[in-house]
Amino acid sequence: MSSADGKLPVLSLQGMRKRFGGVHALRAADLVVSGPGRVHVLLGANGSGKSTLLGILSGQLRPDAGTISLSGGPVQFSSPVDALAKGIAMVSQETAVAPDLSVAENVLLGRGLVRRWSGVSWRRTERRARSVLERLEFDCDPRARVCELRPDQRQMVEIARALSSEARILILDEPTSSLTDDEVDALFSVVGQLKREGVAVIFVSHRLPEVFAIGDEVTVLRDGTTQAQGPIGDFDEHSLVEAMVGEGLAGSVERRASKAPAGGEVALAVRGLRVAGAVHGVDLEVGRGEVVGVSGLVGAGRSEMLEAIFGARPAAGALALAGEEFRPRSPRASIESGIGFLPPDRKGQGLVLGLSVRANLTMVESMTRSRVAIPHLGEEWHRVEGTCERMRVKMASAEMPVGALSGGNQQKVALAKWLVRDPTLLLLDEPTRGVDVAAKAEIHTQLRAIAASGVGMLVSSSENEELLELCDRILVMSRGRMVASFSQDEATEAKLVRSAGGHV
Amino acid sequence: MSSDAATQPNAEASKAAQVLTAPWKATANFRPVLILVVAMFVFFSLTQSVFSSEQNLKNLLADSAILWVIAMGMTFVLISGGFDLSVGATTALVGIFMVKVLALGIPGGLVLAMMIAFGALVGAVVNGIPIGRLNLSVFVVTLATMIALTGVVELWSGGESYYVTAPIAGMIGVDSILGLPVPIWIMGAVFLFSFYVQRLTYFGRDVYAIGGSPAAARLSGIRVPRTLALVYGLMGACAALAGAIAVGRVGAATPTVDSTIALQAIAAVLLGGTALTGGSGGVGGTAVGVLFIAILQNGLSLSGVSSDWQNVVTGVILLLAVLSDRFQLSDVFSRSSEEDDGPGDRDAPPLETAGAGAAGMLDGIGGPSAGHKTPLDG
Repeated sequence: MSSADGKLPVLSLQGMRKRFGGVHALRAADLVVSGPGRVHVLLGANGSGKSTLLGILSGQLRPDAGTISLSGGPVQFSSPVDALAKGIAMVSQETAVAPDLSVAENVLLGRGLVRRWSGVSWRRTERRARSVLERLEFDCDPRARVCELRPDQRQMVEIARALSSEARILILDEPTSSLTDDEVDALFSVVGQLKREGVAVIFVSHRLPEVFAIGDEVTVLRDGTTQAQGPIGDFDEHSLVEAMVGEGLAGSVERRASKAPAGGEVALAVRGLRVAGAVHGVDLEVGRGEVVGVSGLVGAGRSEMLEAIFGARPAAGALALAGEEFRPRSPRASIESGIGFLPPDRKGQGLVLGLSVRANLTMVESMTRSRVAIPHLGEEWHRVEGTCERMRVKMASAEMPVGALSGGNQQKVALAKWLVRDPTLLLLDEPTRGVDVAAKAEIHTQLRAIAASGVGMLVSSSENEELLELCDRILVMSRGRMVASFSQDEATEAKLVRSAGGHV
Repeated sequence: MSSDAATQPNAEASKAAQVLTAPWKATANFRPVLILVVAMFVFFSLTQSVFSSEQNLKNLLADSAILWVIAMGMTFVLISGGFDLSVGATTALVGIFMVKVLALGIPGGLVLAMMIAFGALVGAVVNGIPIGRLNLSVFVVTLATMIALTGVVELWSGGESYYVTAPIAGMIGVDSILGLPVPIWIMGAVFLFSFYVQRLTYFGRDVYAIGGSPAAARLSGIRVPRTLALVYGLMGACAALAGAIAVGRVGAATPTVDSTIALQAIAAVLLGGTALTGGSGGVGGTAVGVLFIAILQNGLSLSGVSSDWQNVVTGVILLLAVLSDRFQLSDVFSRSSEEDDGPGDRDAPPLETAGAGAAGMLDGIGGPSAGHKTPLDG
């Protein structure tokens, strides 16, 4: 690798294109890191193609078209190991460390252990690890086991691992999403240290204040296309948000007429809900027939909050369901009290893929029946057939495994199984994840109709567009707390993005 | 096959086709083994004149009764996503217990019922609760049970065999009713009961759900710990019944624990198309799996081939059967895994008029206030 001479960009991606089946994840994405020691911020909403671009950059994915050049010379990455050998290391969002090994072993895992004829020399391995840690000014015993470290320290171990391979370009994918403010400051000083050493950093974040605090230059992706790029000084908060969400997009979302919840009856009231390490005191109310959205970044505590209300996760706080005090002890108890929960992972949590459509649809409905009773198959089907028809589940037969249906139809089954019990409250986590556009619109219409029949809904989604379309009211969650609330008329995508990122 | 059906535009036609092919399709999980069983039967009938004689077939079946009964219980354990290594020890323990209780002069029928209840209790409490409620590893729990119960058997028996004189033993093990040995009647009864539980009770469906996805089962309100305790209880009851049959056939309770019987039963279940990962399979396949082992053993010994070859063949066929199963599974679910790669879903049906859907919902869903009671409440 020739050393960068300051004229040629360290890294340049031009016209990257990548399709998954019929979906264009990237159409025409460019990214140029102009020189060594630069912090390049990559911005983009969910689904903008960020992850795909990072996947290509770290050698996990191959682009369909486009060129990558390192210090001016064209390259291709055949694998993550190849990308690493060419000087690109990535620290992913979820920390990937071996918890039972020592810090030194994790830092030098794979390549760096010092060997001699009788095996590994632990003394010299530790010394080498210590030198990497010192370079990061990270004070930590190389012999400590990683499982004893705090999350931010584990992340530092990962950064140290990336550096031990002499990476010239370090990718940090949302490194601050699980850190406290102090920890973020510590991370930033490490990034500053790396800059001085001439390591280029590609920094992914949703938090705009961070972006301005640390970035030198920026690339904004939307719909798989680079919308804006240049020195950070050319932008302000407003122009970045606009590049991320598109001009006047908020107005283009088709809204239904806002409807006040019928009679102001409360379906769910939550006071001071706490989940260890995820939710720190949340108050909220959902009226009957009201659809309340919860927006927020990944790691904000949205899923944990829904699981806690459903009784699938231990929590503290006061809950009332339709005016009566309610303690979520277990999913079963919550279901009996009239709560339904659509989990985010349809394949693992929402459905049993190997079972028939009928068995899945009747799973909740039959919950309280005698276990030794014979299900009269015809009668059982009759009970849920109507629901199935209303949800417009397309299938050849109710006896086929639900895993053989298309994603959209699977999701409808996962939703329909709750409706047969006439719930008071539906908790929906990512209600249209992995569903095509047509099925998504259909599910949205059906959700509105269900709400109109008097069911309260709490919807968490990482797609703000979905919340804007669906909800009467949108709450914004950040780091386990509710930071903002917008009525349907007030809410815009820009406002949601800004408050989720720490700006109210 | 079934994934193609999902995309067929003409739902009516594929529905009709499904009804016609349903019985054949039901064997899909264990078809290669079924074909082998039939082929072996024909082969041994042609080459060994004794093989297809009435007496030999009765012996063949009655000899496989112990494995059969254990394998039926084991099927539920595998469908739930686990396995049970301790059944051999339970079987031996029940044998000793039974002989000792019979010696007290308690009526045979009552003793048999007691033994089955005892086996169920051991399975549910010693295996089922640690696995279901405390979430301990299936391997560790059932291995520990196996080792501990083996010790109990040795301590209690003092290493001696106990002969039985009570009539119940002969009734279970060697007598015939309507010309068929009682073990064969027991096999039939256990099969029908298992089939009923598997296909026609909500409990059976819960077992499939838990094996398919424990998280989905829990989030759907299924009592996972209780169901698992019952599954291991059922397994224990089967092991106890097998222990009683063993006493009857030998005429004595022996202090030796057959530590391979659990693995043989697991092999029979796997040969029958039930996956070790849980959520699929059934007792029909297990019946074929046990017959495979029984016919192979009987046929080879009639042919004068060393019985050691039986194990070699069973092992190889087991591997091949699981291999062919793997390819079938990947066919059925290939679409689902493709979807994971891309954010979208390309073969969903086109959107129909959304307005009609909304209108349909409005008059159907009906909240509790709408007074629209469906027959499913209560």
